[in-house]
Amino acid sequence: MRLLLVEDDDLLGEGLRDFLRMEGHRVDWARSLSAAAGYLGEPFDAWLLDWQLPDGSGLDWLRQRRATGDLTPALMLTARDHLGDRLHGLDSGADDYLVKPFAPEELAARLRAVCRRSAGAASHRVSVGPADAAIEVDLAARCAWVHGQRSDLTGREWAVLEALTLRAGRIVSKSELEQLVLGFESELASNALEVHVSSLRRKLGHGALATVRGLGYRVSTPA
Amino acid sequence: MKAPRSIRGRVLRTQLIWSLLGGLALATALWLAMQNEVDELLDDSLLSAAELLIGPMLEQTAAGAPATAPTAPTPASAGERNGGGPRFVWQLVRHDLAPTVLANAADAPVQPLASTPSAGFSDVPGWRLYGRALGPPGRMLYVAQSRAERSEAKLEMAFTALLAGLPMLLLGMLWLNMRLREDLQPLQALSARLADFDGLQPHASLGVADYDELRPVQAAIDALVARLARRITLERAFSAHTAHALRTPLAGIEVQLAMALREAPAALVPRLQRVRTAAGRLQHVVAALLAMFRSGAEIERAPLDVTQLAARLPVEGLALHVQATAPLSGDADLVTAALLNLLDNAQRHGAQAVTLTTPHAGCLRVHDDGTGVSREQHQSLQAALQAQDYEGRMGLGLMLADLVARAHGGSLQLPHAESGFTAVLNLGPGPAAAQPLSAIHHD
Repeated sequence: MRLLLVEDDDLLGEGLRDFLRMEGHRVDWARSLSAAAGYLGEPFDAWLLDWQLPDGSGLDWLRQRRATGDLTPALMLTARDHLGDRLHGLDSGADDYLVKPFAPEELAARLRAVCRRSAGAASHRVSVGPADAAIEVDLAARCAWVHGQRSDLTGREWAVLEALTLRAGRIVSKSELEQLVLGFESELASNALEVHVSSLRRKLGHGALATVRGLGYRVSTPA
Repeated sequence: MKAPRSIRGRVLRTQLIWSLLGGLALATALWLAMQNEVDELLDDSLLSAAELLIGPMLEQTAAGAPATAPTAPTPASAGERNGGGPRFVWQLVRHDLAPTVLANAADAPVQPLASTPSAGFSDVPGWRLYGRALGPPGRMLYVAQSRAERSEAKLEMAFTALLAGLPMLLLGMLWLNMRLREDLQPLQALSARLADFDGLQPHASLGVADYDELRPVQAAIDALVARLARRITLERAFSAHTAHALRTPLAGIEVQLAMALREAPAALVPRLQRVRTAAGRLQHVVAALLAMFRSGAEIERAPLDVTQLAARLPVEGLALHVQATAPLSGDADLVTAALLNLLDNAQRHGAQAVTLTTPHAGCLRVHDDGTGVSREQHQSLQAALQAQDYEGRMGLGLMLADLVARAHGGSLQLPHAESGFTAVLNLGPGPAAAQPLSAIHHD
């Protein structure tokens, strides 16, 4: 998943960035709201927002984003543990609320849950592609199963599959997919995405990922 | 517990007492005035009766008839009462060597009313007398009225006056009661407004006072609430900043340690794990302290499973035994923080094992097999806990455990133990007895 982390504390921000990267996510770290504004318009699977930032309130920023119709899942990271604060945070557009300090493993699990809910999946195990392809994607275990057989995916392959699964049924443009999963890698190799998609098709079956000519890629859900 | 005094009750009681005293004074004054007036009236009637008798008797005397039985209607017959004895009696008495009754009314006494000639008004035992010389010297006509009759007349008047006054008094009391009830309603309305009053709302005010007398009270309450609201706002801001300043680095440490555990060579992992465990304990303590010193915070009481609670306690090098059967409820985070501190104390005092028991509902007993404390220390600790005089007399552990217990409406007890050290967290009977956390601070 591509995540935007907005956190001003270096110790926490750096730790979270490294931890989430180790978990296989692409993380962009902004230390302030003004820095976060530089990422507006780019696709993210989720935002991780601190409430109290040097140049304003993360919650106010989120409220503004929601007012513009941006529904990117947001997880508030805050030191405020009042019930009133938690309710205020959730009512202001946050999808989840985590009180500091927290175990990073819990954060990762909540992120998965938030993104899964956002994608409309009730379970962490999602069926994708045509029914006869029998492909199951386990968003928690970060792996895919084809006809009951586990398919070993590389980190990038998984990232592509996860991004498309979380947007199942929707066409994801090549550039959006590149931004979600590749980052600077796409600048280094212009066909990097095609390589990963091709590799995925080999492992999951050619029907798993559909190419919509001129528009992008799509993962369908079984009818 | 003594019932609070009531303004209405006090005013009514005062009014009743003063009405009775006033009524008594008025009645006494009236009685005295009436005595005089009634006496005069009765004397006038006595005189009139005498005048009525004198005329016919003089005529008889002038005609040479013995003045012993007047033929004219006597005042005695006119003075017959409807249902009782005579109003007046008369006697015609000749005063010679010994007074002799020459004639008298039927109801008059046989003995002369006066032993010596007595003209005008006089009092003899049992009678009020009016005497007047009649005919030959030494002959006197006495018209008398009994004392009982005069007293009865006065009592009747007093009773009539009382009958007229009593309903007025009762009506007055009823009216005053209603009036007081009505006039005290603004106080009840003020209480109701205060109950719903949220002083933390912007421009919060109790509004215009219903009575002039309530204006200073409302103004004082408004000023007090404004001061408290400012204080709470500042405390909240301070609390939020403090929480941010403490929790964020703790979160950073937690995440960095999680990373370090993944990256570190195997030999370092146990050491890092111990550090992460200690950081976890610190997080609990910080969370408990922040909750404890926050204005208006209340405990989140829920049923506690002591076994599960014990599983949350990172206690390395300490055997933890749980024998809990009685139900226990409390704020899990606060109780965990209290237990962590008690376990820390136990380890510092050389304990190898700690036993958690629930002797009865709402009570958690923590016993360790450490060196314990001396008898004097034990007494000093118990006294300090009872007086909430923590500073300099105990460490953070016992103080925090006591504050947690008090936040639940109970207290920390240190019963005597033959060996080791025992602390008993009484977590109170239930939510009703618990105090807001900020109310248990002891400066």
